[in-house]
Amino acid sequence: MIAFGASISGAEAYRRYAQPGIDRAAEPDSQVYAFASVEPIARTYNLILDAAGHRDDLEALVLVHPHTEIVDPQFLTKVRRALEDPAVGIVGSAGASGVRSLAWWEGQVTAAPGRQRYDEFGGGSLPAFSWTRSAPPPAEVEAVDGQLLVLSPWVVRNLRFDESLHYNHGFDVDLCLQARAAGRRVMVADLRLAHHRSIELVKDLDVWAQAHRQLARKWDSVFTEAPSDEAGWKRRARYAEARREACRAIAFSQAMKRDAGVLELERELDLTRASLSWRVTAPLRVAKRWWRSRGEEETGGVREPEGLPAFEGRWELDGAQEAPGRRDTTGRPARV
Amino acid sequence: MIAFACSITKPEIYRSCAGPGIERAAEMDSEILAQPAVGTISASYNALLERFAASPDLEALVLVHQDAEIVDEQFCATIRQALSDPNVGLVGCVGAIGVRSIAWWEASVTCASFVNRYEEYGGGDLESFSWSWSDAPAYARTGEVETLDGFVLVLSPWVVQNIRFDESIGRFHGYDLDFCLQVRRAGYRVLTADFRAIHHRPLEMLPDPEEWIDAHVKVAEKWDGEMGIGAGTGTWPQRAFRAEAEADAALLQAHLYGLELAARTQQLERELALARGSVSWRATRPLRRLSARRRSAAPT
Repeated sequence: MIAFGASISGAEAYRRYAQPGIDRAAEPDSQVYAFASVEPIARTYNLILDAAGHRDDLEALVLVHPHTEIVDPQFLTKVRRALEDPAVGIVGSAGASGVRSLAWWEGQVTAAPGRQRYDEFGGGSLPAFSWTRSAPPPAEVEAVDGQLLVLSPWVVRNLRFDESLHYNHGFDVDLCLQARAAGRRVMVADLRLAHHRSIELVKDLDVWAQAHRQLARKWDSVFTEAPSDEAGWKRRARYAEARREACRAIAFSQAMKRDAGVLELERELDLTRASLSWRVTAPLRVAKRWWRSRGEEETGGVREPEGLPAFEGRWELDGAQEAPGRRDTTGRPARV
Repeated sequence: MIAFACSITKPEIYRSCAGPGIERAAEMDSEILAQPAVGTISASYNALLERFAASPDLEALVLVHQDAEIVDEQFCATIRQALSDPNVGLVGCVGAIGVRSIAWWEASVTCASFVNRYEEYGGGDLESFSWSWSDAPAYARTGEVETLDGFVLVLSPWVVQNIRFDESIGRFHGYDLDFCLQVRRAGYRVLTADFRAIHHRPLEMLPDPEEWIDAHVKVAEKWDGEMGIGAGTGTWPQRAFRAEAEADAALLQAHLYGLELAARTQQLERELALARGSVSWRATRPLRRLSARRRSAAPT
């Protein structure tokens, strides 16, 4: 039996995103452990592990973030295939090798194709992890993204999320490092997901940086060779401080590129809208809008706003067919 | 006599940027020396300093990056005024206080009278905060600073004769902060003055981050806390962990800006497609073609 689990802090997000994905992927006997979140997230996940660990027939536990939607019709087939090797402890949809910190994506990233769907700027979607270079799966990695974690029964019964990592970042990297320290493999498989999340990757960078330091202190000897003396630490600090300023300059450059890129398109749009032909034909557009609104009043219909293409749900499924075992509301998997 | 000098690696950039600015600013008797670089920027600048050190009538030496264009016609009058105090060693138009490293822009910048003129994305200008004094924030002011941006540096005769750029620091980065520190250690003041320049450069600030990091470390080690350079709070392990975290946070911020650009581009392209796909836009296409043809046929 493959079980699903979620730590739910926002019920609406779970209902809209994670739940339809779980429904799509689950089999008739799948258990869903949907728990209200207890801070930190590691605590809720441990409660789910405790519950799932008691099942003798457990094949895998899939932990799904409320904003993550499984859109892969072959999801469980791929999960079973990835876990065929008993040495595999954790499987994810994206991860990296060469991980040196909480920022696992600064390593060599492997990621399954997926989409990041955002609401800002009129809404839209981008390829998941478009902001970093990634290789296609499968691959053995050092850590996987906690948006979706597939855990083997051994991991469910023998490892626990570190509840002292109370900033809610890094619980995924930490569990992967624990699994590897116990001799288990961590893999990225071709598990297709849609991430319904803001383009703002992290809400509070200061909190994230605190979590970074917390994880670094715990795993420093794994991430890097720790200096043995004061001079070594000074060298490391000097380099780190220099790299920090370089990274800030890179971020500043990126901000300037964003502004310049937007300005270029805004100029083009302004030019179009300021043209004589656009201005001359303005009455036609006003008349068209009036005609449309009149039609809506008569029919009571709702139209897509002008300029926004109608949403096509197909992108999420990538041409997928219904998942085996998928069922209607009456046949939903049992919830714990 | 106010002299102007430039070390050139790309003559076409000098011709289009620094050259016109120097011609605009120079006086009848100004000596202008634009010569090919000889190794690092420090070595090149030292060669220029040697050349002018013996000039008996030198009032100031203006070192200009090849991609920097002085746009102030009162430039010479402004720097004469700034150098009228014999304790002033260096003058520039961009400077900061509270500087801890070669990333002086992370400190408290007091004056930034320049625009960054870029060619990417159709080109444009990014004005810094004191480019236009009428729009400048309350903290904008000219006066004493700890360091200057090296893209335009005005040196007093004493500095030309007595201070040299440190050629051990690196190829291109950190030389300006180190030079300002040397001048201040010698008891001379470093000032910003009210002149303006255009910096013609790409939006990418650090095309060579490893080289820049190397220069950062060298300057921090050289000054090792003196005048605040390389100073920080906490033990070395604490500083290391903090800086490593903040570096990755900055990169995350950079990723966010990239995503924002992608998302905004999608949004604006949708609006553009809508405007240009409209019946009215398509119907008036012949008018625009005619207009374009008339414009191209018109005498320039």
